[in-house]
Amino acid sequence: MSDTLLSLSEVAKSFKDVHALTKVDLEIKSGQVVGLVGGNGAGKTTLLRLMAGVMEPSNGSILFRGEPVSSMRERLGVVPESTGLYSRLTAWENIRYHSRIYGIEDKIAWARVVHFAKMLDLIDALPRHTKGFSRGMRQKTALLRALAHGPDILLLDEPTAGLDVTSARTVRKLVGQLRNEGGTVIYSTHHLAEAQQVCDRIVIVHNGSIRADGTPDELLAMTNKETLEEAYVSLTADKAKPRIEDNYKEGKLAKWWRLFLTGRTPKIQEGSEDE
Amino acid sequence: MSNSWRFIRTIAKKEVIEFIRDWRTLLALVVIPLLIFPALFIALPLLLQSEAAELDALELDIVWQGDYNDELSSTFNESNIHIEFENIPAGLHNLSDIGDDMERIRDQEAQAVFRLINNSSEWKFSVLYISTSEASNEARNRILDAVSDWESNVINGTLIEAGLDPEKTLDPVQWDGDQKYADAATKGEQAGLALSLFIPMVIAIWTASSAIQPSIDMTAGERERGTLEALLCLPCSRLQLLAGKWLAVASITSAGVALQIGGLLFAITYLASSSIIGVPSISMSSLLLLLGAVVIFAIMVVAFELALAMKAHSVKEAGSLLGPAILFIIFPALFTQVINLDSIESWWFAVPLVNILLAMRELLLDRIIVEHVIVWVVSSIIYAAFAAWFAARQFRREDLVASIS
Repeated sequence: MSDTLLSLSEVAKSFKDVHALTKVDLEIKSGQVVGLVGGNGAGKTTLLRLMAGVMEPSNGSILFRGEPVSSMRERLGVVPESTGLYSRLTAWENIRYHSRIYGIEDKIAWARVVHFAKMLDLIDALPRHTKGFSRGMRQKTALLRALAHGPDILLLDEPTAGLDVTSARTVRKLVGQLRNEGGTVIYSTHHLAEAQQVCDRIVIVHNGSIRADGTPDELLAMTNKETLEEAYVSLTADKAKPRIEDNYKEGKLAKWWRLFLTGRTPKIQEGSEDE
Repeated sequence: MSNSWRFIRTIAKKEVIEFIRDWRTLLALVVIPLLIFPALFIALPLLLQSEAAELDALELDIVWQGDYNDELSSTFNESNIHIEFENIPAGLHNLSDIGDDMERIRDQEAQAVFRLINNSSEWKFSVLYISTSEASNEARNRILDAVSDWESNVINGTLIEAGLDPEKTLDPVQWDGDQKYADAATKGEQAGLALSLFIPMVIAIWTASSAIQPSIDMTAGERERGTLEALLCLPCSRLQLLAGKWLAVASITSAGVALQIGGLLFAITYLASSSIIGVPSISMSSLLLLLGAVVIFAIMVVAFELALAMKAHSVKEAGSLLGPAILFIIFPALFTQVINLDSIESWWFAVPLVNILLAMRELLLDRIIVEHVIVWVVSSIIYAAFAAWFAARQFRREDLVASIS
């Protein structure tokens, strides 16, 4: 029996005339921790959003255990880059809100949350409102929220971005623990060293397509380089495309209005001295 | 329990809890709607009454220039007025020419100057005052009242001297009996008419305005705070998400409207106990139809506001969109108040917004005209469905996710 959890076949995604992803083929097997590595605007977040079933691909298919992923979202756990916590709710209320939508009884969700909260050293913060939470605490709460319903696969979008060293280490430790327990994780990051440390397999995304896919050793062998950083640079040598947000086209009236209200920026003149 | 209802209920419950945890929201949602009508109908008249009593008790200084009249002087004395007599200044064009008295009136050395001259058979007078001063206005009113009483006495005296009956001469055509008993409308119906002139407007404006803040908070606010993406990852459809948020906004708005109506009923009960206004008499059918009208109106307005707020990329943008949109409610609401309901054409009951407001007015008068009811129910359901469709379209937009950064 195949242990493929998630299967992407010829997946493409366009936003009007901007091609965010082109012809992506990827298989995620059960029990793997897969790192999606790429620069800003490479297409990692779009790929994760497609895998999470939040967006529909323009072309191709994304299947979870053979079913369209959009109909299997209850089997996924997602932590978007913006943790998405409600500041007027406590950490537990935030978690419970999601787990109730997943149809999980509060008792069961609580037991799972306590198990992981101990690991993340967040148990005391569960009854507190998340308003004053640090970035690290927010990230940990979002992780607990994504794990409370016992997902088959966890999708993490840059989970250590903006975290201090200790918090980032705790998050990585949790991912390691999940791997040890046989869990499947897709881990988006732009830090190669982190991907090497956490992931069994690294998928390099650049300009909306997959440039390489394999274990760190396989990537080194593939590129004949000594370090992963060198391998990454050689695989992504072509100039990065502008981000989707940079391709935003405004209407003529909006553009005229913006230009009308924009203050002048002084021109840089060659040979002029700094004041 | 079906999954759909579980999703909708869970989303709505969380939205309401989160919304009411802000004490400022509670103030806007509970205290203000509850107190606005009692304040308007009870506290304001009491305040005005006490202000009027204070003004009545005020001792005023006036300057009397020109000829003296004993009868008028004694009337002034009964009006709590202190008089200082002077001659009329020289060089005036007429008695209303303020002349050198300008400064002392502006400085309020005297609250008013009363000028009076007797030219053989007729009296001429004027009152100099400053209209921006309450005391000066009060002095002018007291003088005019006293002059009016004196004038009536002069007229009556002249008529009697001429051998005429003053009452028959001055008021030859008279209403017989008490005017209030000539009205076929009951006190309850009269109260219904009075309420129909502002309750629909209040409900419309309050529903629309109180839905703005939660609509923005639950859509553009979620987008801005970065909570929307996590929400969209959940295994519920966008329509279920919309329904949950709609239910939350509608509940919050309904609570506000219900509290406001509660406050209004309290004020009416208070006024009824003072016999100022009767308790409106409305049949159960009218009451149910009225409730239906409010519900359909709320569906439409809340869905429309949610859609507009979801269209916006930020709270600021949503506020800029929804703030002016309230005018689309206020203008029809004001316009509807002046439409004559007697022999009104049925097509009025198909005009968006105006139809519901007219329906509420008719129902408060306890008038159920089947043709009108059919037109406003069908047309309103169509408009509410359109608003819901528009909202659903906004919630299904893919760039909702793409534009989250």
